[in-house]
Amino acid sequence: MTSLRIDGLTVTYANRPVLNELNLHIPSGAFATVLGPSGCGKTTLLRAIAGFISPFSGTIRFGDQLVSVSSIVVPPERRKVGYVAQEGALFPHLTVAQNIAFGVSSKGDKQEIVDELLVLIGLSKLANRLPNELSGGQQTRVALARALAPEPKVMLLDEPFSALDAALRDDLRAEVSSLLKLRDTTTLMVTHDREEALVVADLVALMRHGQIVQTGSPVEVYHQPVSPEVAISTGDVLLLDSQKDDLGKINSILTPQLLNKEIIAGKLVIRPEEIRINSDGLGVKATVIDLDYYGHDAVVHLDAGGSKINVRISGDLKFKVGDQVGLEHIGPIRWFPN
Amino acid sequence: MSITKNAVTPSQKMAGGIAVPRMLQISALFVLFLASIPLGYLLLRAIASGFAAASAVLLREKTVSTLITTVGLAILVALFSAMIGISSAWLIQRTNLPSPGLFLVLGTLALAVPSYVSTYAWIALIPSFAGFAAAVFILSLTTAPYVLLAALASLRRIDATQEESARASGLTASQVARRVIWPQSRPAIFASLLLVMLYVLSDFGAVSLLRVDTFTRVVHTMYKATFDRSAAAVVALILVLLAAILIYVEYKARGSAVAAKSGLGSIRSATRIDLGFKKYLAASYLLIIAIASLGVPIYVLITRFVSVAAEINVSNLVSATIATVSAALSGALLAMLFAIPLGILAARYSGRLSRYAEFGILLTHALPGVVIGLALVALGSRLGFLYQSLPLLAFSYAVLFLAKAVGSIRTSIARVPRVYDDISRSLGNNNWQTIRKITIPIAAPGVITGFLLVLLTAMKELPATLMLRPTGFDTLAIEIWTQTSISQYGQAAPYALILVLVAATPTYLLSRPDRAQSSESRENMTL
Repeated sequence: MTSLRIDGLTVTYANRPVLNELNLHIPSGAFATVLGPSGCGKTTLLRAIAGFISPFSGTIRFGDQLVSVSSIVVPPERRKVGYVAQEGALFPHLTVAQNIAFGVSSKGDKQEIVDELLVLIGLSKLANRLPNELSGGQQTRVALARALAPEPKVMLLDEPFSALDAALRDDLRAEVSSLLKLRDTTTLMVTHDREEALVVADLVALMRHGQIVQTGSPVEVYHQPVSPEVAISTGDVLLLDSQKDDLGKINSILTPQLLNKEIIAGKLVIRPEEIRINSDGLGVKATVIDLDYYGHDAVVHLDAGGSKINVRISGDLKFKVGDQVGLEHIGPIRWFPN
Repeated sequence: MSITKNAVTPSQKMAGGIAVPRMLQISALFVLFLASIPLGYLLLRAIASGFAAASAVLLREKTVSTLITTVGLAILVALFSAMIGISSAWLIQRTNLPSPGLFLVLGTLALAVPSYVSTYAWIALIPSFAGFAAAVFILSLTTAPYVLLAALASLRRIDATQEESARASGLTASQVARRVIWPQSRPAIFASLLLVMLYVLSDFGAVSLLRVDTFTRVVHTMYKATFDRSAAAVVALILVLLAAILIYVEYKARGSAVAAKSGLGSIRSATRIDLGFKKYLAASYLLIIAIASLGVPIYVLITRFVSVAAEINVSNLVSATIATVSAALSGALLAMLFAIPLGILAARYSGRLSRYAEFGILLTHALPGVVIGLALVALGSRLGFLYQSLPLLAFSYAVLFLAKAVGSIRTSIARVPRVYDDISRSLGNNNWQTIRKITIPIAAPGVITGFLLVLLTAMKELPATLMLRPTGFDTLAIEIWTQTSISQYGQAAPYALILVLVAATPTYLLSRPDRAQSSESRENMTL
């Protein structure tokens, strides 16, 4: 059982910081995801934790053990980390079984460990295949088993599912996360897929420009974003121009109010499912201008006095283009000054 | 506590600017220094001779006529080689020619016959065979396979749908050839023609036996006849300059040829054109070329061999083979050893040192065997103990084939992406264990293939061997050369037969149409 604690981590590349005073704490046994756009430094963070690169400053701790502080860097082979790269990166000259056994040092129960993991990933029959004879999903499973075999203290996953097609990705993701939680392995997975980041995680860390801008449970980061930017990174949002007065009242197209003096301009952050459409016209007047039907749900595009508003509703589509409806805000108020 | 500071990139995406490990830096620089010795020495000699003496050599009538002969030969050979190569490729790939696979093998197998062996065969057949036209004839046949392979590869790359779309929009077959196929094949064919010209510039055996005064022959004659090595150095430098120009243009052209390669997924090849009864005409044309390039040498070798079979000096034959193998083996090993740091540098690191290394390798590629021979014989004679020694000969091979060796190491190392290292490290292996368990096993097959190609090429090497070999160290190439020079055509046959058999094996393997070989490994066979 090992927690992962990163304090003030700075990694520079060509004198430019890729990670900038980054802080992150993952409790022992938790499955954490780091969500951020490409180029924000996600992979660099993983590589610094694994010990593939030397940070400029800051500390990395596995439990009580300091693995990286200023110029003293424990080499990767002595950190006991598991690393699963994009597309698996299986060793092409070794069979499935040899790949899994690669990091197991004890000679005695090597075979036992490999067999057990093969059962766990459901590929016992493919033990003697070479990687190029496996499908993408099978390769990812083997890469995971290979990383698990030496019983790492910390598991690092670098967008391991990005190369797989959607249906397989969902299944495998669920499988992998339950497997890792079963073993109580502290896990950090980086991804740029916001649904992926939320669905498997105990803890979500949102990353931007080399820093973690918010950490919390999936529900927290989705519902209590610390900024409009963070809100956008975890899901669709409506950003409405709005004003707040000295009494805390907020005026916007969806929350029309008369305000007192000393008005501050800002943004109201609303999720598309936090608006109710009333077919009886109750609320703010709007016209349906377009519909996106996805089957399980649908997005209704509306025009409310010149403002474009998108609302997500369940798949039971009751509106058509041209309908006059009323809109009602039913979610929490999230307001950020400009 | 031992701490390893790893110099690796934050991410693969941010390639470039990665710190090169100190050991690699030092060994790469050391190899580059060694490889620059021949050229550097020639430059020093030329400079030492003084400006007046150098310009006197440059302006000599002989120099001017040699320049005209060399350049003229290169251009004419390129022209004929292009005609033979392109027409053969088109017939083999795009028409209903009978047994195209056989003609492909015959067309490429000519690579296995060194130019001096086919020259010897033709002289043995027609004793008056000599002169400029004869050289054009021999060298065109020898180099046509390069153009054939390049043209064939580019024809295969062009998807049939392109041609079908062009036809559908109203172009005739010949308009398609001119406006669709040719523009796409041109860069590759152009690059192969530059290689052909480089071959002609470096060729020593054929032009010498045919008594055509190109720069290689003139440099060798100057070295033999006079002890004015400075003048020879000046002439050799003109040759290097010509070769360097070709290398530079080829390097630039190769870049654009690669960029022109586009299209994903599998390529559907075009339907073959029905030539009607003319297909027999086409087959006869290819057959005549095969007879000239392969048939005559093999016929002469075998008949001469049979005629002298009784009087073959087996022990000479064995000692020549042993000499050939031992020189080529040590040269090829040294070349691969030199190539390791440069190949790793080229495959894994970008940056200033990598660019210098690439430039240095290109420069060694521009050094014909005669030039390296001249430089090292002059240098060796000053060093005494190295003069006409096996190590110096091996060193000359290593410099001569450095570019080829680096190429094979680079492609092999490129098969081991950095992420394999990272994962191996995270699984508890240190740097050396990772190299042993991951890098070497994955890279080894490519490195061994490269080594074998260098070995076989070194076995055929003539001019540097001729100038640098220890006294009495007669390789197969030397025996063929010596016997032919004194018109002992029968005596040369057994040596030539062994050489051709040895050289034919990899050529055959690489030309088999079922083998999806990269053009790079084919390119590695050249020169």
